[in-house]
Amino acid sequence: MIALPLVLVAAVAASMALTGQGSDSVLRHLYLLPTVWAALSRGAIGGGLAGALAGLLHAPFALPAVERDGLTSRTLDGLLSLGLPVLAGLLVGRLVDGSRARAARLDAVLAIQRRLDGQEPLESALRDVAEIVRRALRARRVALLVGHDIRTARLASVPTGTLVHEECAAAFTLASGQAVSSADLCADPRVRADEPPGPSPRRGITRPLTSGAGVVGAIAVEWTGDLPRLARAAADELAVHVGLAVENARLTLRQERFAEELSEKVAAATARLRELDQAKTEFLSVVSHELRTPLTALQGFSELLLRATLPPEKARRCLVYLHTEACTLGRIVGELLDLSRIETGRPLELRPEPVDLDALLERNVELFAAEHRGHRFRWTTSTPGAAVQADPDALDRMMKNLLSNAVKYSPRGGRVDVSACAAPDDPGMVEVAVEDDGVGIPAEQLPRIFDKYVRVPHPETVAARGLGLGLSLVKALAEAHGGRIEVESLPGKGSRFRLLLPGPDGHF
Amino acid sequence: MLLLSARFEPAEGVRRRPPLSPCFQVAIAAVWMAALGLALEVLRPNWAGVGHGLATGAVHAGLIAIGWLVATAATPGWRGPVLRLATAAILAAIAARVTAWGPLAFLLVPAVLIHETRGLPSMRAIGLNGARPIPLVTGLAAGGFLGLHLLLTASLTFGYRVHASAAAYAGALAYDVGANVLSAEWLFRGALFTACWRRSSFWPAALATTSLSVVRYLLDPALPPAAEARAGAIFYLGLVGLVACALRAWSGSLLPGYLTGLAFFAAYRTLTP
Repeated sequence: MIALPLVLVAAVAASMALTGQGSDSVLRHLYLLPTVWAALSRGAIGGGLAGALAGLLHAPFALPAVERDGLTSRTLDGLLSLGLPVLAGLLVGRLVDGSRARAARLDAVLAIQRRLDGQEPLESALRDVAEIVRRALRARRVALLVGHDIRTARLASVPTGTLVHEECAAAFTLASGQAVSSADLCADPRVRADEPPGPSPRRGITRPLTSGAGVVGAIAVEWTGDLPRLARAAADELAVHVGLAVENARLTLRQERFAEELSEKVAAATARLRELDQAKTEFLSVVSHELRTPLTALQGFSELLLRATLPPEKARRCLVYLHTEACTLGRIVGELLDLSRIETGRPLELRPEPVDLDALLERNVELFAAEHRGHRFRWTTSTPGAAVQADPDALDRMMKNLLSNAVKYSPRGGRVDVSACAAPDDPGMVEVAVEDDGVGIPAEQLPRIFDKYVRVPHPETVAARGLGLGLSLVKALAEAHGGRIEVESLPGKGSRFRLLLPGPDGHF
Repeated sequence: MLLLSARFEPAEGVRRRPPLSPCFQVAIAAVWMAALGLALEVLRPNWAGVGHGLATGAVHAGLIAIGWLVATAATPGWRGPVLRLATAAILAAIAARVTAWGPLAFLLVPAVLIHETRGLPSMRAIGLNGARPIPLVTGLAAGGFLGLHLLLTASLTFGYRVHASAAAYAGALAYDVGANVLSAEWLFRGALFTACWRRSSFWPAALATTSLSVVRYLLDPALPPAAEARAGAIFYLGLVGLVACALRAWSGSLLPGYLTGLAFFAAYRTLTP
């Protein structure tokens, strides 16, 4: 309220007139009270106004005295009383304005820190911060840009709905880190404004928002009318605080995101460990079953040979069975040993030498053709007499695994094609392909089929025996030879495995 | 928001220069006309004050014309409006000297000014637009208060009294409406204060333009030559100028300050030594 102090000033003047004591009346000191009151309540404007009124009302007492008596100590005192209220009102008012501005700045800084505590999305928090800054600076418009590029930066402005030019002053500050100040945006030759100047100048400043990481954004503030020095200093100070608060908020958000990602990774790893644990359990069960089957056969036929005297033909057949089951047992134990080596990180014991590929493939194809008469095996080579640089036993195991796999996953019989040729896309390598027209592998399972203990479930292949180690062993053996294995498959159409091994001396 | 929506070119640092050459031409023309009027006054005293009227009109025409040039940055085609305004001011000033009710011709000057400025966006920029009632009332009250204060102080110090000639008073008021206050508000608060305020802040702009307007009044031959009168003129016209600047900044319009000046001079014109 400014009216009451002004009325009090007028009342003091009226009292002096009524008492008729002239310019040296003791009542003149009372001018200071409403003047200081006005300054305390309304700042420099209120204090100055009340002081000016007091001076003006005292002038009719002081000036005639000067004219009448000349410059004496009494009339000088009267003149001082004329100017003192103005001075006091302005000084006290200015101090009040300064302290209020500082208090408002502190309030704004606290409010900004509370809003940017990382609990809410940055966009909505920034809009509130822009409003806090606008109120603290008594500005007309405030915009906050957070980011490093005007095109991708987050924008919060009050009032909302501001168009953004890619080469605006805020973009310049964002890109260069340099502040911009304009006494009148409409008349500033650097600003290509379409709007005609209004009756009051439009002041504008941009300041970079900086933190330890450098420029994190920019703040743009516009005022209409006068821009006091205090407001400009406050804008500079708030820009520093907003920059730090924004950086803190971003760090908090990043930390929360990191914690979420970490939690997701831990959950995924735990699930994978559970899967592995279950797979190992299943593996033990399968291993027991796989070992028991040949052992049972060995036990049964050997007991038969020991207890009964069999005719030579029958005894020989028993011995053939015993040999076959012993081979099966040997293959399983061999695979388990290889697996053990791979898992413990020990190198596989390989003795590479030139291997006649034709003979090895032909032998295996004939063996499988004899055992699996429901399938049609076909073996072709584009280069007769082809050879690879490999360990013969390991290569044999790889082929048996691939053929066994093709047979297992073609449960209703079908075609199994085996071919060998120079790798067309990899000079110096030999390609051995095993192709079937079985159940195929779903695309989502393809990345996992070379993992250990993995068996792709299919209703038609439930009865198929196996440890889920064959393909992982083939892969490990191929890589140990300096080669690799690839697969192409379509569910319902079949699969094609491509084993690539180095030729002898690096050529085919 | 121009800091976001307008293209910014940091290398463009050259501010539009004030139209010095046209202002100089107008000032020369005004001084020449004023000198001609004074010469006529001396050489042809029987011409019933035509020379005096010509000189007075030339000075006000010059002030209004310079205000026009500063406000419009002397855009091409400035000579037409400036010539019409100057003609109106000079004719009104001559009419004021020739007949008893001739000063009422000064009322034509604001009408011509409004006609010439209609539709010009640069005029809104200097505050030539309407104002809300509160600033208008405040301006009137401030001018009235300062005028009454002047009457009181003058009566207590110089023993000045209120004079009663209605025709002379009306003529003086018409002169204030159409020339004295109009040219001061138009040039000092409109063109110059706006230009200074856009470049700096309120107080430097207000002090500079108020000082210029006080100097203009001190150079007015109509001001009593007594030292006390000149001190009073500095005091009151300084206050009137500062109040008008504050009202111009507050309201965005020249009208409240214009009313302050009119109210103050309405009181001042009642005084007679």
